[in-house]
Amino acid sequence: MTGKIKIIIASVVVVVFIVVGFMSFMDNKIDYASFADAQKRLKTVEVKGVWQKDKETKYDAEKSTFTFYMKDEANTEMKVILDGAKPNNFDIATMIVAKGKVKDDVFYAKEILTKCPSKYEGKGEDVKKSSNL
Amino acid sequence: MVGKLLIYVAFVASLISIIGFFLAHMGKENFLKIGRLFFHITVIGVLTAALYLMYNVLTHQFQFSYVWEQSSTDLQLPLLVSTFWAGQEGSFMLWGLFTAIIGIFLMNYVSKGERMEAQVMAMFTLVLSFITLILILKSPFHYLWETFPKDVEFGYQPVEGRGLNPLLQNFWMAIHPPTLFLGFASLTVPFAFAMGALLKNDFDSWASFSVPWILFSGGILGLGIMMGGYWAYSILGWGGYWAWDPVENSSLIPWIINVASLHTIIAQRKTGGYKKTNLLLSILAFLLVLYSTFLTRSGILGDSSVHSFTDPGAEVYAALLAFIITFSVISIGMILFRFKNLKDIRTESSQLMTKESLLFIGALLLCASALVIFVGTSLPIFSKAKVDMTFYNNMNLPIAIGLMLTMGLSLYIDWKQTDYKKFVNNLILPGILSFVTLIVLIIIGLQNPIYILFAFVSLIAFFINARIAVRILKSGKMNVGGMFAHIGIALFFLGVIGSAKYSQEVNLSLQEGKTQEAFGYKFTYVGANPFMDANNKRDTMYAFNINVEQDNKEMIMRPVMFFSKFSNGVMKSPDIAYFSYKDLYLSPMSLEEPSPYPSESLYSLKKGSKTKANELEVEFIDFDFGTMQKGGKEMASGNYTLGAILKVNDGVNTETLNLKTKFTEGTPSPTPFTMQNNKKYVFYFLNMSVKGEEAGGTTASVSIMDPSTVSSGSEKETLVVAASIKPFISVLWTGVLILFVGFILSIVRRRKEILFKQPAKNAEEVKKDSNPKNKGKKK
Repeated sequence: MTGKIKIIIASVVVVVFIVVGFMSFMDNKIDYASFADAQKRLKTVEVKGVWQKDKETKYDAEKSTFTFYMKDEANTEMKVILDGAKPNNFDIATMIVAKGKVKDDVFYAKEILTKCPSKYEGKGEDVKKSSNL
Repeated sequence: MVGKLLIYVAFVASLISIIGFFLAHMGKENFLKIGRLFFHITVIGVLTAALYLMYNVLTHQFQFSYVWEQSSTDLQLPLLVSTFWAGQEGSFMLWGLFTAIIGIFLMNYVSKGERMEAQVMAMFTLVLSFITLILILKSPFHYLWETFPKDVEFGYQPVEGRGLNPLLQNFWMAIHPPTLFLGFASLTVPFAFAMGALLKNDFDSWASFSVPWILFSGGILGLGIMMGGYWAYSILGWGGYWAWDPVENSSLIPWIINVASLHTIIAQRKTGGYKKTNLLLSILAFLLVLYSTFLTRSGILGDSSVHSFTDPGAEVYAALLAFIITFSVISIGMILFRFKNLKDIRTESSQLMTKESLLFIGALLLCASALVIFVGTSLPIFSKAKVDMTFYNNMNLPIAIGLMLTMGLSLYIDWKQTDYKKFVNNLILPGILSFVTLIVLIIIGLQNPIYILFAFVSLIAFFINARIAVRILKSGKMNVGGMFAHIGIALFFLGVIGSAKYSQEVNLSLQEGKTQEAFGYKFTYVGANPFMDANNKRDTMYAFNINVEQDNKEMIMRPVMFFSKFSNGVMKSPDIAYFSYKDLYLSPMSLEEPSPYPSESLYSLKKGSKTKANELEVEFIDFDFGTMQKGGKEMASGNYTLGAILKVNDGVNTETLNLKTKFTEGTPSPTPFTMQNNKKYVFYFLNMSVKGEEAGGTTASVSIMDPSTVSSGSEKETLVVAASIKPFISVLWTGVLILFVGFILSIVRRRKEILFKQPAKNAEEVKKDSNPKNKGKKK
């Protein structure tokens, strides 16, 4: 096999790889969006927001779905149904990131991340408290 | 004071040491001694600082902010030790400690024989000085009153610390991070060798003496990554062992590049080719470690990972950025500086079917995989988006297939010229064995064509490598490290196919005492029992006992849940039943207390309309917000009292009831109400709901029940678990273990090179090395 053929084969493989890679990349890219954006698009997106504690929050053991209301950063509120149980640290999360898509005015989440920045950092006011546990 | 001082000493000494080594490189041989002396001082400074931190941790010196934040007195020894590296400051200290220790061995190694001591040590020390700089900026030796000058007075010493996050309270916490950091630190060595080669303008000799170090990095870093996966799978209950999370990815990328460089550097030793590739890959692996550190330590990934990051502050961010930029600039600068010399190095053979070419294709595939992961992981930095796991899986699948193919075939191909007839003959037996195994796999459920192909090439790689390994072992030799590593990877991929593609999962709602079936098992929740964990005296944990029965064989599985005071949330841990060809994985989801309100007593009352409830007629008038502002701050807090005003007619009287309910964190604790003249029914107001008119308008959920008809106490609690079957996951873990054994065997084989003075001669190596082709001839 000559060097030329080798180079041609290699270039074809590389080009195919890059094209396929780019397409797959665009297909699987998950943007951060607001509920309003999510409603317009059919793609899976991530929405950041805050749990609305005064609204209905429940776990349906039969279907294993967790329902709650969330307000996104643009102050739009939407019902979120998570396929799964109440996420860890849900009650103390300062921020919730829900991944999923909107259907019929409900955000169906596949996955939820909870963000608790204060959790890992001690605060000055806690120093004395921690001594009398 | 002492700790900070030691770090300063180490930092300054490292700078002098670099100057000494650099002057020695410039030809002033006398300065080599200065370089060595100050390198020793640097190492001693870092070692004593680390010892001092360990002493502070072990003796609970809570006046130090770091110790107070991470540690507590109730931890048992292994976990207490692990609080050394539980936070950022400590993990930088650990990185520095390992780099310093490796430095001792490295200096001993390079000072024997012609091993570019001045050049290598100058580069290596530069890395160490950057780590000490970060330790100056992010010190584990701050006192509480320095960190919190407003809240804590000078000299205050708390008697207890905040303690270790319960998520980390685990055996793996004691060994996973150190292993990973040792791997990271060790990648400095091949980098220093490559840079030393560029400095010295000698691109040949380093290839032979860097191999043991590259093997060490590959083995240790691989082990660390694997431990992380096992930890996530078995304890944290993430369901899987790999989630393509940025933290996981960023340690995987340098490992893949390291493995690629291992293969091309072996090719360089045999044929003299790939000199440029080897320089590039060794440099790249280290730069990717810095990139990984930057991604995971700078706080830049904030929202896109399941791992929680803390923002280390602008100074550390800048220092980490400076770290990676400095070394990138130095690396690129050195390559450009030697560009002319590098250009003249001979290009590789143009034959496609030589071992050299196949090794190169293998390395190229590894780099492609690293690139895919790199692009995906870096996306959140450049845009408000991230990529889904599917991207990594789909892109790596064809790469893995190609890898398995080269990994099998390359062993029957010669370095120079291959006899095709013999090549085909060699493939017959592994081909037949793979085919038969594949048929069995298809019969038990393997379906998807691309996975059938993936399984087939993995089997071929497995059988070829196993066959050669057996042959070598039979001849009484031990140089089977490479084959073992290959067998391990092939098994790993087979395990991936089984456990990822063919795992099944169902949610089971197990009411206490009631049996449910799934996957041919009978599950019965038989109640929970509390227990205390030796490391966590603050929380009571609960084991939820589930009786699992199949074919009259019974076992109890015990997933765990508990409320953690530290993180103010529920912690969950799965239980796994390990079988030879599958795992049964039970992940607890929640415990549902029996509802005191039977479903037949629940009414959703629409504002302004009348509803029949048994013989009553109920009209929902409005909510009573009292002094609260509707939808205001108080309501948003979840802690408030709300009333629902009902007009009730029992056929005799009409009464107005105001059902008040107190909400705590959004959870109602309803007060029972009855009518004045009809005590038969009890009213509870459970929840409000405000929707659009089409969706029902303003409604109140109310329970109206006749207590005499409700049989109390018959309802039992319900445990919800996610049950899944993970086929062949044991094959996966066996694979990674064999992979690690492969690395160990290779290192042991090269122990002579590490321990003795002169580097092995190239020609001698070729003779010693297993050439499968030669073994084939003998037979």
